[in-house]
Amino acid sequence: MELTRREALRSVVSKCIPVATAALALPAVEAAETTSQPKAPVGMLYDATLCIGCKACVVACAEANELPRDVSLDGLHQAPEDLNAFTKNIIKLYKPQEHSPDSFVKQQCMHCLDPACVAACPFKALWKSDANGVVAWEPSRCIGCRYCEIACPYHVPKFEWDMINPKIVKCELCRPRLAKGYEPACTSVCPTHAVIFGPRETLLSQAKGRIEESPNKYFENRVYGEHEAGGTQVLYLSHVPFEEIGLPDIGTAPIPERLRWQKALYKFLALPLLLYAMLATAMRKNWIDHRKEMREEEEQTGLRPQL
Amino acid sequence: MKHVIVRWQRGVPIYAVPKITPFLVFLCAMGALSIVLSAYREWAGLGPTTGMNDVYAWGIWKTFNTMVLTGLGSGGFSIGIAAWIFFRRELHSVMRTAVLTSFVAYFSGLIALGVDVGRPWNFYQVLMPWRWNPHSPLLEVAFCMPLYACVPLFLENTPPLIERWFYTWPGFRPFMMKYIVPATRATYPYVIALAYALPMMHQSSLGALMLLGGSRVHVLWQTPFLPLLYVWAAGFLGYACVIGVLMVSCLSWKRPIDMRILGVLARIMCWLVLSWTAFRFLDILVRGQIAAAFAFDRFSLLFWLEILLLAVPSVYLLRGDNRRLSSRLFLADVLIAVGGMLYRFDPTILAFTARPGAVYFPSAIEALVAAGYVCLAVAGFIIAAKYLPILPAPVTAWHDMEHYARVVHPDWKLEIHDFSHHNRPHFAN
Repeated sequence: MELTRREALRSVVSKCIPVATAALALPAVEAAETTSQPKAPVGMLYDATLCIGCKACVVACAEANELPRDVSLDGLHQAPEDLNAFTKNIIKLYKPQEHSPDSFVKQQCMHCLDPACVAACPFKALWKSDANGVVAWEPSRCIGCRYCEIACPYHVPKFEWDMINPKIVKCELCRPRLAKGYEPACTSVCPTHAVIFGPRETLLSQAKGRIEESPNKYFENRVYGEHEAGGTQVLYLSHVPFEEIGLPDIGTAPIPERLRWQKALYKFLALPLLLYAMLATAMRKNWIDHRKEMREEEEQTGLRPQL
Repeated sequence: MKHVIVRWQRGVPIYAVPKITPFLVFLCAMGALSIVLSAYREWAGLGPTTGMNDVYAWGIWKTFNTMVLTGLGSGGFSIGIAAWIFFRRELHSVMRTAVLTSFVAYFSGLIALGVDVGRPWNFYQVLMPWRWNPHSPLLEVAFCMPLYACVPLFLENTPPLIERWFYTWPGFRPFMMKYIVPATRATYPYVIALAYALPMMHQSSLGALMLLGGSRVHVLWQTPFLPLLYVWAAGFLGYACVIGVLMVSCLSWKRPIDMRILGVLARIMCWLVLSWTAFRFLDILVRGQIAAAFAFDRFSLLFWLEILLLAVPSVYLLRGDNRRLSSRLFLADVLIAVGGMLYRFDPTILAFTARPGAVYFPSAIEALVAAGYVCLAVAGFIIAAKYLPILPAPVTAWHDMEHYARVVHPDWKLEIHDFSHHNRPHFAN
């Protein structure tokens, strides 16, 4: 018996559905992380109650990273307004309208445990170290698409807009200094130890210890970065609401988890290949029919067919 | 008899018109200007030449030229699926127009993307799978989109070129019959299947790009179904573009308009738009964000503008009378195209708020380059339509061309009457 097109399609579809469901269900069990967890994540702990806003860390950062001075404010003072192509680390002042307390805040890369920028980067130019978990940028791989800037929830990666050979500028936790056994420039110069360097676990327990010591000093009695977006390697303590000092309330789910359906659909390329196989099966049948009908028309009209 | 007799029976080149017109010169001048300005952008960097900044890191080159215009150029994919997979044979008469619009739109978009990226010299890595990040939707786009444009879409566009050589270059015929025809017969279904699988992948990945934007994309647009809505929108945008291109071409080159086929296209487009709209409302309702649509702020107005531009003309076109009148069809089609383009554009710029206070407005150079590459695409379409049998016409148009060519090109053999098939064995399939 000859198979009609409808029957052929139906048989293909009925065979494909179990495979498709299996392929979709499979990855749901696994964790949605894009990077393996680092062996010994290091990070920083910034305590906003200790920071005096001296900006020694800003200058030390620029010096250690050989960044040009950003004097765009008045042509005289190194006073960047935000993280930018010349600034990997910045101290900002939060000044509320009413009589609640002021606060300084330090901004640099958070070195997320499951970074959005690393998930976004098409050619692994942004990568997370397996050893200490530093998120770094590799110039020979970056195509300059700036997807990291779209994806990063903390607005950290910056682009050298004015350069012919533009780079992505972001804190790499003073990678070269760490390799030599030094701590990052910013923590090494902080006069009040508002920002300190160490293994993430140590810093976390230290932060929790400070909260226990003075229970109502810190906002919500919690450490920002312990769970935020899957956890970050830079941790914050603050006496003012985190959102006020630019630390967004983004929940505990890692940002790359938003791509979990996409990842499931492309798992082993199984579903795209299945889709292709289905289309090709239908096309093979229809191509034969089409040529038959072309032939019939040609016989009737005597006109050369067009494809 | 199963086959359908249509008025548009055969692709026929636009002939007996000046090859170079003031409009074409204008388009090419705009294209040349954009190439010069692109060279300046490579030399000066993105900052001085564009309005992009660290908050709005993606400007119109990516979001309009690539993300919106390749959606508009999805006709080859969306009409092709109806014609080939769902076997709507009457739609084959518009397929050449559809795949050509796709071809010019994709190439114009890919060039704009090449101008936009900051370090294009590293793009060779797209050929090095061990350097891919398989989790990145942008990798999927960066790999899949050029692959589609250069392989299946290119091959879909070769039949008109080969046909031209067949009729105008008698020495080519034996070669074509011996090698090209058998090769085409053997590979065509697999090429076509690729031409539908790849756009489904990268058109949805364009939507997936904005998933990582999270709450920066307004809740009316940000949804886990963004990839599905994007590829769906590419589907009806492809129809809208091909209907519009056919009508404008027929009017400007004084070809007869086959309203019946346009009506078939418009009907499919309407149902795609209406089902898309229903799905979008359902998604917003299920996510519990319907209140945002009635906030009557900038975003909710933008949302209703999209819905009005898409749904009202679609409902209007459901009435057969409105589809049969070319002026009504054209107006409704343009509105749907604008609405669909707006939907594809909004999540990337207009409904994208990374930081309060930050603004993006394209610079003059940026806008000129964007417009210039669109002009190049239009110029490419016009030139191809004049040299190749693309635009559909009644079979009499071919005979008229034959008479015309006898005087101008006596060496061409344009007769299409061919009774040699009586001596050939029947298709043994």
